[in-house]
Amino acid sequence: MNKLFKSIRRAPYQSFAAFLMLFMSLLMATALLFSIGSLYGLLGYVETRPQVTVYFQNTATESQIAKIKQELIDSGKALSVKYVTQTEAFETYKVLNKDNPLLLEMVTADILPASLEINAKKPVYLPQIAEFLQKKPGVNEVVFQKIIIDRLIQLTAIIRTISLTFFIFLTITTMIILFTITHFKVALKRDEIELLRLLGASNNFIRWPFFQESLVFAFFSATSAFLFFIGLIFYFSPFINGYLRGIDRLTINFDWTQITVWPLNLIWLATIYFGILLFGCFTYLTASFFATKKFIK
Amino acid sequence: MIQFDNVNKKFPFGNTALKDICLEIEDNEFVFVVGPSGAGKTTLLKLITRELLPTSGSIIVDGVDISQKKYHQTDKLRQKIGMVFQDFKILNEKTVFENVALALAISHLSSDAIKTAVHQALQAVGLKDKDDFFPLQLSMGELQRVAIARAISGERKLIIADEPTGNLDPQTTWEIMKIFKKLEGKKTIIIATHNTDVVNSFKKRVIIVKEGKIVKDTRKGGYDL
Repeated sequence: MNKLFKSIRRAPYQSFAAFLMLFMSLLMATALLFSIGSLYGLLGYVETRPQVTVYFQNTATESQIAKIKQELIDSGKALSVKYVTQTEAFETYKVLNKDNPLLLEMVTADILPASLEINAKKPVYLPQIAEFLQKKPGVNEVVFQKIIIDRLIQLTAIIRTISLTFFIFLTITTMIILFTITHFKVALKRDEIELLRLLGASNNFIRWPFFQESLVFAFFSATSAFLFFIGLIFYFSPFINGYLRGIDRLTINFDWTQITVWPLNLIWLATIYFGILLFGCFTYLTASFFATKKFIK
Repeated sequence: MIQFDNVNKKFPFGNTALKDICLEIEDNEFVFVVGPSGAGKTTLLKLITRELLPTSGSIIVDGVDISQKKYHQTDKLRQKIGMVFQDFKILNEKTVFENVALALAISHLSSDAIKTAVHQALQAVGLKDKDDFFPLQLSMGELQRVAIARAISGERKLIIADEPTGNLDPQTTWEIMKIFKKLEGKKTIIIATHNTDVVNSFKKRVIIVKEGKIVKDTRKGGYDL
């Protein structure tokens, strides 16, 4: 460690430039990770809002409807399936038209059909669910908002592509700048490297101080960027809370697990911190590896 | 310890540096390699440290053929060799202590062991009290002493010095050569030089190289330009 601090002290401007560059990149990476996480949570939330509603003929029996409901649950495509009986439909009708007594007089529970309200796990499942339902006996009508769903699918794909492209661009830019800074530092030590080679130092021995510096800088930059970002989040939390009013929880769903991204919690914050720490270590180590490669052939 | 068997070295543009070199140097032997500039002295030394590879022939150091392309232990080989250069190769941004310690750190010694070995080496070259000096604070002779301290520190069995007194005045030259004299019998020492006074006064083995060939190899020889 002493050697490392001595090396930083003897080339302070390059070291400070590397730290600032890494700090900025990791701050952007933190913001990106946080935004992507929140956006995915929000998309997941929005994606499950549209419904397929299937209305049954009055001749359809409760057991027929229960069987269809079970088949939907078993398919693994439905997030929730709610059975609305004729009586419940009439109660809802009454609430919706409480100010219009004429409409209330004209309608009885027998006229309104029983229905199933289905939330899909992903919007792409909605057309499949609708098609499945249309073939079932006793079904009168299947309703779902196709245009909204198509646009949601499109929007999700665009956001995913943009965030991935931006992340790749950020990684490459960071790596190139860190490579250039490290290359300067290595070039300044050209004589020392040549001497070390003559004295019998292995490639790893020559590279280690640069790797060590990369790891220490990545740690300090990641920690500073993370703390700075947390400060920003707390500063803007009233605005974020207002924007997400009415949403209890946002989650990212993987096949094997689920991460809650809102409200902020220790697991999500730790994931962001270790994510940017790994990103910082990876980019700086890779840049250092290629910057030193030329000098230790 | 070192064996050259029909070693030839040609450079890419066709000029021949060494021709049919056959040579044996025993453990703890003191050898001068002499000859005019461009005779091939430095090339011969660089072949021992594997900075260069021979065009043909074999070079065996410590029982291992180091001339093979598939030899991958160059770092281990060089850890056995202490090198002293005409231009010293002392790092200006490091102190005397750090310059000497550099050679020992490579062998992954503990910091206490490095401290002891550096102080022993600096004592041997008479620079014990200047360990925290920077190179810019030292004279040319003192810089070469630092380089020798670096070369003899630790367990390096072979010392190769390429024109170690080339940049020094006569008085400092003798002081430096006295340090090498003290190491006689303890390490194998190969010194490339064209300083006739030094070679003739030492009366050690002299290998004369001219136009890439060994023209004379005498056990207690001298040298005349």
